[in-house]
Amino acid sequence: MAERAEPVASTRSSWSLSPVLRRMVAMPLKDPFAFTGILIYVLFALVALFADQLAPIDPMEILFTKAGKLAANVPPGAEFPLGTTNLGRDIYAQLVYGTRSALAVGLSAAIIVSTVGTIVGLVAGYFGGATDAVLMRIADMALSLPFLPFVIVLTGFLGASTSNIVLAVALLLWPNSARVIRSQVLTLRERAYVEAARVTGASAWRILFVHIAPNILPLSFVYAAIAIGWAIITEASVSFLGFGDSGSVSWGMMLQDAFASQALSRGQYAWFVPPGICIVLIVVAGFFISRGYEEVFMPRLRGR
Amino acid sequence: MRLVLGRFTHNALALLAVTTILFFMFRLMPGTPLAAFINENLNADQQQAMLEQFGLDKPMWQQYFIYLANLLQGEMGLSFFQRRPVMTILLEVLPNSVILTLTSLIIAYIFGVVAGAWLAWKRGTWIERAAVPAVLATRAAPEFWIGMVLLAVLSFNAGWFPSGGASSPGMAYSSNWDRIFSLDYVHHLALPVLTLALYLQGLPLLLMRSNMLEVMHEEFVTMARMKGLSEWRIVIGHAARNALLPVVTAFALGVGLSMGGNVVIETVFSWPGIGRLLVQAVSVHDYPLAQGAFLMIALVLALMNFVADLLYMVLDPRVSHGRKG
Amino acid sequence: MILEVDKLRIHYSTRDGVARAVDGASFTVPEGRIVGLVGESGCGKTTAVRAIMGVLAENGRQAGGRVVFKGQAMDEATTRKLRWRDIAYVPQSAMSSLDPVYTVGAQLVEVMTKRGNHSRASARARSVELFDLVGLNERRLADYPHQFSGGMRQRAAIAMALALEPSLLLADEPVTALDVIVQRQILDVLRSLQQRLHLSMVLVTHDISVVAYLCDEVVVMYAGQVVESGPVRDVLARPRHPYTMGLRNAFPDLLSDALELVPIAGSPPDLREPLSGCRFVPRCPFAQPACGIDAAMSGNGDHRSACRRDSEADTLRTAALDPRTWQRSSSFAMS
Ligand SMILES: Nc1ncnc2c1ncn2[C@@H]1O[C@H](COP(=O)(O)OP(=O)(O)O)[C@@H](O)[C@H]1O
Ligand SMILES: [Mg+2]
Repeated sequence: MAERAEPVASTRSSWSLSPVLRRMVAMPLKDPFAFTGILIYVLFALVALFADQLAPIDPMEILFTKAGKLAANVPPGAEFPLGTTNLGRDIYAQLVYGTRSALAVGLSAAIIVSTVGTIVGLVAGYFGGATDAVLMRIADMALSLPFLPFVIVLTGFLGASTSNIVLAVALLLWPNSARVIRSQVLTLRERAYVEAARVTGASAWRILFVHIAPNILPLSFVYAAIAIGWAIITEASVSFLGFGDSGSVSWGMMLQDAFASQALSRGQYAWFVPPGICIVLIVVAGFFISRGYEEVFMPRLRGR
Repeated sequence: MRLVLGRFTHNALALLAVTTILFFMFRLMPGTPLAAFINENLNADQQQAMLEQFGLDKPMWQQYFIYLANLLQGEMGLSFFQRRPVMTILLEVLPNSVILTLTSLIIAYIFGVVAGAWLAWKRGTWIERAAVPAVLATRAAPEFWIGMVLLAVLSFNAGWFPSGGASSPGMAYSSNWDRIFSLDYVHHLALPVLTLALYLQGLPLLLMRSNMLEVMHEEFVTMARMKGLSEWRIVIGHAARNALLPVVTAFALGVGLSMGGNVVIETVFSWPGIGRLLVQAVSVHDYPLAQGAFLMIALVLALMNFVADLLYMVLDPRVSHGRKG
Repeated sequence: MILEVDKLRIHYSTRDGVARAVDGASFTVPEGRIVGLVGESGCGKTTAVRAIMGVLAENGRQAGGRVVFKGQAMDEATTRKLRWRDIAYVPQSAMSSLDPVYTVGAQLVEVMTKRGNHSRASARARSVELFDLVGLNERRLADYPHQFSGGMRQRAAIAMALALEPSLLLADEPVTALDVIVQRQILDVLRSLQQRLHLSMVLVTHDISVVAYLCDEVVVMYAGQVVESGPVRDVLARPRHPYTMGLRNAFPDLLSDALELVPIAGSPPDLREPLSGCRFVPRCPFAQPACGIDAAMSGNGDHRSACRRDSEADTLRTAALDPRTWQRSSSFAMS
């Protein structure tokens, strides 16, 4: 009996790992919402990848008409699908290239948030005690900072750069995922196969990363999807308020540009409506994906 | 009572943490701490007075306690650009923000609760299937963008609403309250409120919907059916009454969160509130004013978190009425 | 007969097909008697009594049969009218059946003013009476459900059921969630109330000793069908269906000669599968090829059962007392 304990434990852990991954991959095929979300992500990724081909005009280039005059505020047409800005720049090109910065901001924030959130959640949940108490107090503190004002103050004073925005977003968003992952770890910790691994003398870190972490993956993924949306909206808001990276082409900068140059009163809808729709699409895609994963992996976690 | 005290301490400590973070954030800003707090345009005497008031010549830890003591008395220094006490400026704009936030939230929550309950009742129909993604989309849209679109359509195009500010130029009022209760003010308030309400209704709506769906499966709802109570009484008196608990808590939290989020809405509509003040202060590097505005927003957030805790305790008998035996 | 259930069929639509939770069950409840509805978990007892109340889960529907109350066949409209005024229900879990945000007193007053013709004042007075009747202190009327203990909640649920003086009480596992001593107390409350108020009662339980303790008649259900019914003394002393024999072996109080409890191997069938013939065949030690064809309820007088080998009942009963009988697999018995 005793010599059988080890193989049982190890087969059990590897057995419990693969179904989670398999379900993670298979889920979007079952849930139409999640499928739509993934589809939107893929589409935007393709646009970002082939931006040069999709939009041959440089988004920052100042364009002139054949008569040699500034091509300012040209209405949408064959030459410029969405028209031009008041400074004679191609709006369509800006929209296409804006995808790149949106994905860059979204993905980098998502990676930081879910990495930090997952590690803190795992460590706090597994080790408990003082480690847990300290980490969770820090999380509480971060959560009691007003979100957008904090980002504004930070970028306003540290300098308006995309990386500062990502940093600020990451600083404020990791506690959400850490908390939920921690509570999930608390229940996983008591599972039989974790117990078995502990009995066979596996180290704490090995148990944490080999036996528990794979089961947490869907959760990290959910929070990553949500963080992508939050980061993009925050970048847009901060840019709109004038604390954005003025050298970058982003949807937020486009909106700020349109607002500041009276595109609203001129009724240049083609300038300020499309960037907003792109933001909505990409954020909604995150909602859809997280919704699908939550429904499949943690039906009771919904709501808050 | 112990619970109340516990939640109070928790939120008070959180607020203390925020003020502490803020203190160090502003001291560690590029430039000398003196430069950060004392306007060079003041004359030497005034500079000296401020230096002493904020203890800026003392070590950092002493400065910290002076800062806290000053805060407790509502003393936040002078605005660089307006040359007036920060507190005075904040109290001037605060009512505008509170009115904007509360009006929008009340409208959003009334609509959200009713529509959420209705959608739960309509579950499985095409209306529900179309409405849920649509509501998610309103939650996904940047607030300021909703504002821009409404501004372009309803103000610039249709001309129904003014395009910004809180009162028409040339209007004179005998007091601030007179101004707030004037039709002109309401007219200016309408569009920002509509925008904010449109953005905010999604949360109560989805929360109410999913709570209702959950509660409708509870045994006590089935029992209410068996008792032969009317459908109205079952849905409103029992299901909605239970589903409402977390929504009411979310409302209080929403007041705090929305005060922070108002930054962009207030900017779009040039609404003279605390959020716009913060943006202006940061962009002109008016440190004392920026710090004051930030703290005020954080204070409202902490206060509302506490109110949410209290509401939850009062409304849920399982918390307010202890076990007996 | 105060209640007749006739060839009742209740179907649930599920993702994996239709579950025939009640599949042509018939039984009657005589006026002023307590009828035990007994069977293992998953045999359709709860579904049957909820169908009588006319309140099924969203995915359930009545696919056939009828319920006759006091000589009147019940349809949607009459059921609505009769609910709680004539037929009341005592749930298994009193905790989840009470709304957590109202006091117990308020919930009593609610049903009396909304469904009975009580004024608020008379409803309050009657609440005090009802609490007294079930042995609760009237001061507890102002308490919320979570402030009650399990036994008290069950008493409150009984008070709730009696609020409008119904003539028929359907009690679904009213004591299952309680510990043994409290079980006894609640059963005694039910018995004394039944006698004082001349109630008719259906008592659902999976525990045949509860039936023996309280009931006048018993209806044994298996896989959505009634397999045996009759006066308690007859059925428990001389069961005629092998399932009843098995149930009797599986519960303590009644066994006089066997020393050990003998469970019936296996579990009730999945009601989503199409089934035919006697549903008990896979677990029955006495099954024969002939059992593949449905057997109707038969018997002389009140004691009836649905077994192909009914004529050999006495022999089978003796064999059933031997624990070894139940160890044999049915395939062995059939070959
Ligand atoms: N809402 C439902 N949907 C699908 N199947 C159900 C539902 N309720 C009960 N069932 C099934 O119907 C059968 C009878 O259930 P139930 O009436 O609760 O039996 P009992 O009360 O005897 O335990 C079980 O197989 C159960 O799985
Ligand atoms: Mg049952």
